[in-house]
Amino acid sequence: MKNLIFAEVYKLFKQGKTYYALGAIFLIEIIILFSAYSQGQDALDMILDNLKQSFYFEGNLLNGNLLSYLILNTLWFHLPLILIVIISGTLTSEYKDRTLLSVMLQPVAKWKFILSKYIVAILFTFLIVLFLAVTTFILAYSIFGDGDLIVYLNGLSFFESSDAFNRILWAFGFGAISMIFFSVVSLTLAVILEEPTKTWIAGAFFLIISNLLAKVNFKNYLLDNWLYVKLNDTWQYLFHFNIPWNKIYLNTTVLSLYTIVTVFIGVIIFTKKDVG
Amino acid sequence: MMTRLFILICYFGICHLNAQNIDKDLLEVQHRLDTIQSFSALVELNVDISFINIPVKHAKIEYTKNEETKVFSEDFVLIPKKGLDVSLYQLFKNPFITVDRGTALRHNKTYKALNIIPTNRKADFSIATVLIDTFTNRIVEYEINTKKDGSYLVSMQYTNDISLLPISIEVKFEIERVRIPLKYMGRDADIDKDSYKSEEVKTGTIHIGFNYTEILYFH
Amino acid sequence: MIITSYNLSKSYKSVKALKNVSISCKKGEILGVIGANGSGKSTLFKILLGVLKPDTGLVTISSKKTKPIGGIIEKPALYEYLNAHENLKVFGRIQGLKITDKFVINSLKKVGLPIDRKDPVKNFSMGMKQRLGIAIALLNNPECLVLDEPFSGLDPMGISSLNTLITTLAEEQKLGILISSHILGELNKICHRLTVLKNGEIIKSGTTKDIINESTIAYNISAANISTSEVLKSYDVTIKNHQATVIVAFEDISELLQKLHNENIAITSCTPEVNMNKLFEN
Repeated sequence: MKNLIFAEVYKLFKQGKTYYALGAIFLIEIIILFSAYSQGQDALDMILDNLKQSFYFEGNLLNGNLLSYLILNTLWFHLPLILIVIISGTLTSEYKDRTLLSVMLQPVAKWKFILSKYIVAILFTFLIVLFLAVTTFILAYSIFGDGDLIVYLNGLSFFESSDAFNRILWAFGFGAISMIFFSVVSLTLAVILEEPTKTWIAGAFFLIISNLLAKVNFKNYLLDNWLYVKLNDTWQYLFHFNIPWNKIYLNTTVLSLYTIVTVFIGVIIFTKKDVG
Repeated sequence: MMTRLFILICYFGICHLNAQNIDKDLLEVQHRLDTIQSFSALVELNVDISFINIPVKHAKIEYTKNEETKVFSEDFVLIPKKGLDVSLYQLFKNPFITVDRGTALRHNKTYKALNIIPTNRKADFSIATVLIDTFTNRIVEYEINTKKDGSYLVSMQYTNDISLLPISIEVKFEIERVRIPLKYMGRDADIDKDSYKSEEVKTGTIHIGFNYTEILYFH
Repeated sequence: MIITSYNLSKSYKSVKALKNVSISCKKGEILGVIGANGSGKSTLFKILLGVLKPDTGLVTISSKKTKPIGGIIEKPALYEYLNAHENLKVFGRIQGLKITDKFVINSLKKVGLPIDRKDPVKNFSMGMKQRLGIAIALLNNPECLVLDEPFSGLDPMGISSLNTLITTLAEEQKLGILISSHILGELNKICHRLTVLKNGEIIKSGTTKDIINESTIAYNISAANISTSEVLKSYDVTIKNHQATVIVAFEDISELLQKLHNENIAITSCTPEVNMNKLFEN
């Protein structure tokens, strides 16, 4: 199994498209930082407009913590979209190039092969989020410095600099779990659909629907609390003034179960399919 | 001759009347506060507004007579527009008259209540109500109706009967709920439509604690 | 027998791709499977290689090796963004082999590929890709090799060198090799036995010589002075340049050649011309 994982990692990092993805993520960060630099103060002024009647402000809110928070919000759509393309491509390209057939002609168990793809998908996703976090921190703090973080989430919250940094760090961590779920879904879609374009469309559709359903109030306890769409944004709880740790751990556990079940479904389908 | 005498009497009468329009207890308080040349203090700011979450903040303030109070902080702080002026410089800097409002009861103590009405159009408030502790010759509470920044109610607490500057103050004011365009909202922001549509203005409170590092008096 | 299949059948929706196909191959033997496009060759080979499940029938391989059978289906599928060394490393690693540089070099040499090319495989010619595909198929030393249409897309030089490689593998390493193709001429050169597949069924099977001879109705005889032959005038013959195509049965060709020799006709070659209709006749 570790040989299969090694081979998958080797192939992933030998392909140009992996670096295009990293480049795209880096470019998104730069664009966000640039737009924040040019328009951030206006946006802050608008948000704080009501408060100006009663308060003066001392200190700079347009700082590295705010920028990191803004980049963190790419976890909504941009990052999972990139991941869907890359991760599903690790399997659809094998179908398209018929290398899957070549692999199956070797003494390799089908379930081990596909499971190794899932494992590498998970590791790669984690690595991407780590890359995002590290580059974010370096760029944001070096350009904008640190300072208090302002977040509007059921009220206006201000977090002190060190507290803000820790929250953002944890948020990246829990956000990685959400991204892993999307990666795993995209690979399962690739198992089912095989063809690259169909898989991308299905993956993007899944992402859009997930984002839309997340805002819906189903008026049903089970759906409103345990449907996966309601768990994907667990990292946002890190920005409640009093962090509900129990809720975060529970949500993360349930989302992990969703992930495991999705992997299981993918492995079963792949194993039962004829590769020829 | 009689006409000139009449005019002179009227003039001095008006002057005396003016002197009578500033309450003597308030004058006493004003004189006491005028002895403060400057002070600096470390302040602790605790904001209590329903839709704002902010931890207790610390800042340094420096006051010099006849100048605006300066605030210094490394962190982001919300500095109330009114209330930090513990020398009540803002209250007394423009000419004013007073109107006696009798007494008011606070925490089982009776205080003298006065209205302060500035006579100068440049004043940034239209009327203020002060409660004076005539025993200690200090203001314990005042409410200002500003022309542009709404109304404030400031309560002042002192360490002992002698100290001139308060150890803590509480500033109450009205504030409109922060309205954020949807695109700036965090994902999990539940839009509470009822409170969003509500025209009710919220009340905010700031508790400010003072730790004076230096107070200079005029001799 | 190194590999044997019994009564294999496979259908795709309403199309029956294979009907009760039974074949076998010995160690050191090269078995050719000939059939038109869509006759079921690839389906048969996929089942033999284990990537497709038959509806009925079974395949047995008499080998205790980790990888008893290796092969290529249609075109060799390689990781085009990797070079030859890297492809071998990846395919070797996934089956648990310890891949050293020496191992890679030996594998490349075995199939006649250059050892110093570091550019991606997408730059390789079809012949080189076929060789690399065979090198990968030979990883883990299988005892049987299955090659589906290996000559497809190759030029004459490529076909010739591939033939040499296949023959060497059978003779020196005693691999049992199954090759499918619709190019009878090449199968004739290297196969010991032939099996003819038509519409998913085996219609003929036997030694290459017997199968070819059964279906031969004419021979192409080349000689510089062939047009001067008097003997040929009594045969049904077409002469073009220095080649005569003579309609004569297998049993009679020796006699004809002897007569031409007696006429001092300097024969340089004599090749059978197979009638495809007869070959694919049930």
